[in-house]
Amino acid sequence: MYLVANIDTEICAATSCKLCTQYCPEANTILYDNEAGQDKGLKYGAAYVAVDRCKGCAQCVWVCDNMAKHNAIKMEMIDQIGDTALTENVTYGEKTSSAVLANPVRGQG
Amino acid sequence: MSLDYVKFTPGFGKFMPKEYRDMVEHGPFGKKVSVSQVGTFKEILEEHPMCAGCAMTLFIRLAMVAFPNPEDTITVGTAGCGRLAISQAAIPFVYGNYGDQNGVASGLTRGLRLRFGDKPKDVVVMAGDGGMADIGFAQTLHSWFRKEKFTTIMLDNEVYGNTGGQESGMTNRNQVLKMAPLGKKFEKMDMLGMAKVAGCAYVATVVPNNPRRVESVIKKAVLVAREIGPSYIQAYTSCNIEYAIPTDKVLEDAKTVETDRYKFTEYITDEAKEYLSQLYGYKEYLPKPAAAVEKQ
Repeated sequence: MYLVANIDTEICAATSCKLCTQYCPEANTILYDNEAGQDKGLKYGAAYVAVDRCKGCAQCVWVCDNMAKHNAIKMEMIDQIGDTALTENVTYGEKTSSAVLANPVRGQG
Repeated sequence: MSLDYVKFTPGFGKFMPKEYRDMVEHGPFGKKVSVSQVGTFKEILEEHPMCAGCAMTLFIRLAMVAFPNPEDTITVGTAGCGRLAISQAAIPFVYGNYGDQNGVASGLTRGLRLRFGDKPKDVVVMAGDGGMADIGFAQTLHSWFRKEKFTTIMLDNEVYGNTGGQESGMTNRNQVLKMAPLGKKFEKMDMLGMAKVAGCAYVATVVPNNPRRVESVIKKAVLVAREIGPSYIQAYTSCNIEYAIPTDKVLEDAKTVETDRYKFTEYITDEAKEYLSQLYGYKEYLPKPAAAVEKQ
């Protein structure tokens, strides 16, 4: 098993700094959903990780901890992360993107 | 070389991979996108085999987002790590033999101007420090002296990272590397000074720990190269393998190096300033009003 980045939606949606989306070395990996967290009454959208593209470098963790100081991203084992985003389940919309969450190991929700 | 080349042949769309459909429907082609919008549109760079946490990858990704007209852009590269990512993007990539990239780009630029006239087609060379300052040094400098109108970007990782860690002309003096165990005996080459002497209209140094600055610098360099003359960007893109930087410290290293010896610098000719301010609305290059003369 291997580590991938996992973003805490509640912390992320309270700030909307979007720094991790800009600093990830991999393209189309840390994506941004403008409507995430709205059902929980949170102010902004949130970033999320398409874990099948994440190489586990943890640069986003450094950016979130040291530049943004939000501590919203943790590295977690792929089989212990629960349901998460995969590239095949990502849908792009008008100035946003969203993903139907699925289990990254079993491939089903 | 138009928006049409990224579209599907009628009837074939449903057979295309999801990534391709996303690219056509939600890519940056024909739109104005910025670094602050990444994550909400499909980027033109796709999956690639570069190392995890590579700063060069981050820079290439930001550069691809920053291209003013990606549908009218061709990238040229050569041997080295960078081409592993640059070639995996939804814009044409031309591979020059090692060191030939600026010669190839010269012919390409001239050919595109013959074919398309005044319609801007941007040629962007992205190659490593070895391909540009060592093996391709003559072709790089000659293309600048000839005032070839394209952008040259050096991905400066200060080492031959792809072949095991030999010193390059851009390695710092006394730097010990796996294949330079006694340390480099000479100073780092002053490619910025040479670019200015050779007649580049826009020269900048940048480090990818400031994405908006990378975006701004790339846009200006590509626009200046359309009409005014050659432009050169030198980007510090550390090799975390050869310099043994833990991947989660790559940006910390970039910040340290930027503060220490790779400060942001920008050189732009008066002609390029006038061009950017008048055609593209860059207010910072508008002529400053003359200082009020003090009353005697």
